[in-house]
Amino acid sequence: MTPSAPAPHVDVATPERVALSLPVAGIGYRCLAWLVDASLLFFFWVALYFVVTLLVSDVLGAFQALSGLTQTLLAVGLFATQWLYWTLAEVFFHGQTPGKRALRIRVVREDGSPVGFFESAVRNLCRAVDFLPVLYATGCITMLLDSRHRRLGDLLAGTVLVREEAIDLDKYTQGAAPESPPPPVADPGVQRPLGAEDVELVLAFLARAPGLEPDVRRRLGARLVDRVGASLTDEERARVLQSQEATEAFLRTRAKAAH
Amino acid sequence: MAAPLPTFVTRRRPDWDALQSLLTRQRAGRLSLSELRTLDTLYRRAAADLARAQTFYPGTDAHRFLNQLCAQAYGAIYQPPRERWASTRDFFRRDFPATLRREARFVGVSAGLLVLGLLLGALVVTLEPRGAELLVPEGVRRYVAQGRMWTDDLLSVAPPNAVASGIATNNLTVTLFAFASGILLGVGPIFTLVNNGVLIGAVGALCYREGMTAGFLDFIAAHGPVELSIIVIAGGAGLMVGQALIDPGELPRAQALQSRGREAVKLVVGCAPFLAGIGMVEGFISPGHLFPTWAKVGLGLSLGALFWLYLLRAGRTDAGVARVDVPDAMASSRLR
Repeated sequence: MTPSAPAPHVDVATPERVALSLPVAGIGYRCLAWLVDASLLFFFWVALYFVVTLLVSDVLGAFQALSGLTQTLLAVGLFATQWLYWTLAEVFFHGQTPGKRALRIRVVREDGSPVGFFESAVRNLCRAVDFLPVLYATGCITMLLDSRHRRLGDLLAGTVLVREEAIDLDKYTQGAAPESPPPPVADPGVQRPLGAEDVELVLAFLARAPGLEPDVRRRLGARLVDRVGASLTDEERARVLQSQEATEAFLRTRAKAAH
Repeated sequence: MAAPLPTFVTRRRPDWDALQSLLTRQRAGRLSLSELRTLDTLYRRAAADLARAQTFYPGTDAHRFLNQLCAQAYGAIYQPPRERWASTRDFFRRDFPATLRREARFVGVSAGLLVLGLLLGALVVTLEPRGAELLVPEGVRRYVAQGRMWTDDLLSVAPPNAVASGIATNNLTVTLFAFASGILLGVGPIFTLVNNGVLIGAVGALCYREGMTAGFLDFIAAHGPVELSIIVIAGGAGLMVGQALIDPGELPRAQALQSRGREAVKLVVGCAPFLAGIGMVEGFISPGHLFPTWAKVGLGLSLGALFWLYLLRAGRTDAGVARVDVPDAMASSRLR
């Protein structure tokens, strides 16, 4: 691995003898996901309240007029939504509440497998403690101290939140189609092949190039040509740097050159 | 020698895309058997690609993409057995009562703590009448001073009322907290249990002193036995967690916590339906004078007896089967 990966992650050894490493979701992702979920619950109750007020004029009076059984059912129901929402969502939507889905994070066990009912129940029951004294103060402190950003509930349940990134592979394949501009350098294959790191750098540049300022685009292109085209003669270099198209065509050929 | 990265990606990408779309459909739960086999094959290919990427293209986007893809497929393929309705039935018929009997020590200690609190509260109020000012919530005291029950005109377990009456009406919160606070080194359940014991003891003693024992019993009798049992069980579950944290035995602390937490939460989950049921009794039968006191006492005692009969007897006949079954189920979820 390159030394550029100190971000917290969970290592999983698969039976296929390939190590997986799952990136862990930090406190920011988790707070945002909670905020989404909490607002969903809040607006659910607000909407319900408004519907009820539309139907009944005197809500408090109507509530007191209800029988004891109905009142109890209502209270238990309210309580249950607050607690069951999390667990049911996590169990039925593969570790994602709506908020987590929006943030693209997911609850998994520490070995990378999906959460079951009991794990989810543990981590969500522990909200009562993580919430103490106000607004998840305990949970946040634990998350800051823990290397994998787990709150107390996660520690007890053996779960972690992993992040799913949107990774675009198009940058590797998109260059394949426009092969039309002939390589300006006679035979780039002769040159020293590029390492994966340089290929990544060049491809990242080519993917971003259309969105860059012309000035910046030319300057970055030139710097990359210097980096990957060390063996160019002065004449060839001038030809490559002549136009933007030539520069980028050269870089593309260079990235695709066989090792 | 390794192919250049773009060539590698271009060549292998159709398989990855196919795997991704299969995974999406797997999440939705619509896969035929042949597709399932394809999923397996594609996952193994992707794992091989990941190994290749780890060697030749570390730190690139392609590597991270494969890592994520394989992680998702791994989660889909190596799933622990799903809990279904049959296993829910099994849980209540065998697993929950068996777990409770296995962890009877903790439930016993928990009960002891609650009784200690009860005695303490009652003793303080009996010996030192002004102690009631300290231990009994103001709202309740005012009602008792007027010779009325605080439940006479407030007929619900809605939160504001629960705070005011302060006894077991906030049972749901107390139960959850008694378990969850176990992670605070077990101090949480001890505090919750003793605190609630003191409260009930003090209110009871106060009612006795003011000659309202009948009213107090009338309110508490129908739901009290089962409700206090549930709080005691949840407290026991909390103590289990605390014990795992303080004395993890031969396991690393984190692992002990997880395996004990899994056992402990069974007690709480098992109690949940009973808690909801007894909440109904508390809201519907306990307050008011719809039912005579003797009926409430009878109901409360028989409900309590039934509850404990269930806990102590259920699934006992096929104990041998359970003993063989449980390690099996655990093994299949551990050894993947």
